[in-house]
Amino acid sequence: MKEVVIELREGRPRGRVPGRLFLAYLLLSVAVGLVLLGWLLVDVVGRGFAWVDATLFFDPPSADPQLAGARPAILGTLYLMGLLVAFTVPIGVGTAIYLEEYARKDRWYNRLLEVNIQNLAAVPSIVYGILGLAFLVRGLGLGEVLLAGAFILGLLVLPTIVIAGREAIRAVPGSIRDGAYALGATQWQVVGRQVLPAAAPGIATGTILALSRAIGETAPLLMIGALTYVPFDPTILGEFTALPVQIYNWTRQPQEDFKLLAAGAIIVLLVLLLAMNAFAIWLRNRYQKRW
Amino acid sequence: MTETHIEVRERTLASREPVFEVRDLTVSYSGVPALAGVSLDVYRRAITAFIGPSGCGKSTFIRCFNRMNDLIPSASVDGTILYHGQDLYARDVDPVAVRRLIGMVFQKPNPFPKSIFDNVAFGPRVLGMKDGLEERVEKALHDAALWDEVKDRLKEGALSLSGGQQQRLCIARALAVEPEVILMDEPASALDPISTTRIEDLMHELKREYTIVIVTHNMQQAARVADMTAFFSVEVGGDGRRTGVLVEYDETPKIFTTPADKRTEDYVTGRFG
Amino acid sequence: MRITLQEELDRLEAAVQEEGELVIRGLRGAVEALVTQDGGLADEVIAFDDEVDERYFAIEEGIQSLLARQTPVAVDLRLVLALLHVNLHLERMADYCVTVAKLVKLAPRVPEGNALEEGFREMGTRAEEMIRASLDSFASRDLEGAERLVEMDELIDRANRRVVGTVLSLGHDPSHQEWGLRMLLVSRSLERIGDHAVDIGERTAYLVTGEFREFTDASH
Repeated sequence: MKEVVIELREGRPRGRVPGRLFLAYLLLSVAVGLVLLGWLLVDVVGRGFAWVDATLFFDPPSADPQLAGARPAILGTLYLMGLLVAFTVPIGVGTAIYLEEYARKDRWYNRLLEVNIQNLAAVPSIVYGILGLAFLVRGLGLGEVLLAGAFILGLLVLPTIVIAGREAIRAVPGSIRDGAYALGATQWQVVGRQVLPAAAPGIATGTILALSRAIGETAPLLMIGALTYVPFDPTILGEFTALPVQIYNWTRQPQEDFKLLAAGAIIVLLVLLLAMNAFAIWLRNRYQKRW
Repeated sequence: MTETHIEVRERTLASREPVFEVRDLTVSYSGVPALAGVSLDVYRRAITAFIGPSGCGKSTFIRCFNRMNDLIPSASVDGTILYHGQDLYARDVDPVAVRRLIGMVFQKPNPFPKSIFDNVAFGPRVLGMKDGLEERVEKALHDAALWDEVKDRLKEGALSLSGGQQQRLCIARALAVEPEVILMDEPASALDPISTTRIEDLMHELKREYTIVIVTHNMQQAARVADMTAFFSVEVGGDGRRTGVLVEYDETPKIFTTPADKRTEDYVTGRFG
Repeated sequence: MRITLQEELDRLEAAVQEEGELVIRGLRGAVEALVTQDGGLADEVIAFDDEVDERYFAIEEGIQSLLARQTPVAVDLRLVLALLHVNLHLERMADYCVTVAKLVKLAPRVPEGNALEEGFREMGTRAEEMIRASLDSFASRDLEGAERLVEMDELIDRANRRVVGTVLSLGHDPSHQEWGLRMLLVSRSLERIGDHAVDIGERTAYLVTGEFREFTDASH
């Protein structure tokens, strides 16, 4: 019988060096991302922190940087987000439910629909801007108003919401549906009383993440005519501006102070983004079902 | 004078009336038969077991009894299943009505991510049985031998229960809509042996009121609990196609002591394959 | 737990106890026919054996079915195997009763009365006591009660030896010879019934301890 040698201490080092090199490379990658991001943040916060004050929040813009505020822009952004949610969630979730629960996967038109949605999510945002300009602002005659902006941004994030909705719905196990059907529930009851409630946290998370993308979109808004100088509070069917547009505008001004003001507005935007993402993560952790 | 085993069995024989009459049933997926030419009767207030190797179509078969195969678009059913003389697959039959009378418990316990109470109440609620909900839930939990363990925590989540408790919850859920028949697709295969014994004892109690049909890959379980046993096997056609067929259907003692078909004997003695 | 198994075991055990009651009735009938030399009663005893046989086959089938379906282990398995053997012993006892009845019919009538009447009555009583004792100790899983059967068997054995002695002493009378031979067989049958009762006691011991054990060796 062959003798078995039992050697428990570390053997030849040949396998260890590549392992360590690999680890070093991974850490470097992380470091690069963190360092760059950190540098950007430090730069912005350094410049703009002093300018984040009541004036920024509550006063309308002005030619004098000391008096200028971003109130209409902030309000505009908030209104846009609100309309966005009201518009995209029903349609997006409805589409997701149709595709997951009702559509027969082998039908060609359903497959076409699916492919379309995947593609739409990748379309550059400026294309949506052109679309909006042609069809909503001019074609429908809406004009360069907040509502149009909300529609455009809505179209922009709709594919994302549909996809997130589908993921959330798909994550609900088939065994739950089977159990509900076996008790005599109709399809509507199964979807409404089991699938949707279980998918709700996932849908909410997806929606918030979609919103946080939309909040920063500048190009489409510019295309459809978000004005850069709006001294009055926006209304739904009136001219408007949004925070990213305002930031863009201020950075184009010659005065140095306006650039700093822009940095301040950027901080506000970042905080808003951060808060939304944090909320989405909290939602997900709190309500996520472990299947 | 107490009865001998033979006398007890003869008495059960006499009281048997068929609940289901299956005649020449064939189930196909996308035109390919998975199960062909099955005919048998399922008797009232008895436990009927379907056994056989994997792929023999027994799960497909049991799902025909409550029209769950309707949910699979590629599935088609030919032949007849009569439920108390009525064709289950007639055009004007509503699957929802079928499933109220013929309930199902699945292999892996699938409680809804809701409270224990809401789980059991779901069936009555969707079927519009609004009144006496609390009594219904309590009775169902009693009948499923779970009441004592959960009576103080009905509002807690169902997912906090153990595997065996979850399965009994699923049974309670099925009982809450007052079915006549309970179908069980491998009800204990995901459970530990003690939970399995509890479920088997529960089946023994339930068969006093309900007609039970179970699918099990554990033939010992069928031997322990079933009154009637149907053995399915796979036939390989000339083109290599595998189709499930019914080989033998008889009283359980006969299947396990003197089966008529050699295939049955090979399977129950473990010499199969 | 395992309601079905328990119910079936209880039913089988009850059936065996019932069978025992039937055997006792048969024994009484056989002994009565013997001492009163009643041919009609002997015929009844012979016919009655069919009822015991019916029970015997039903219990065997029940045991077969239970083993196939319930796969009993440990004490449950020992109980089933013990019941299998007890069932057999009871059936054999019933067969010996039939043997006695047949011998009653075959043996020539002895007009001057039955000299062995006392002996046979005693053996009959002992045998009946032993059957009852063996079944009772089985039912209550009483090891000591089972072991006492050995002493009771001694009594039957002695009674048997007395019968042999009496028959031998009558042997010089040719008209009594055939009758004597038959009576020897009767006595032997009754003694064998006692032996089977002891065997039942051994099954009780097996059930309780898990060991196969003969209470006595066969040398005496």
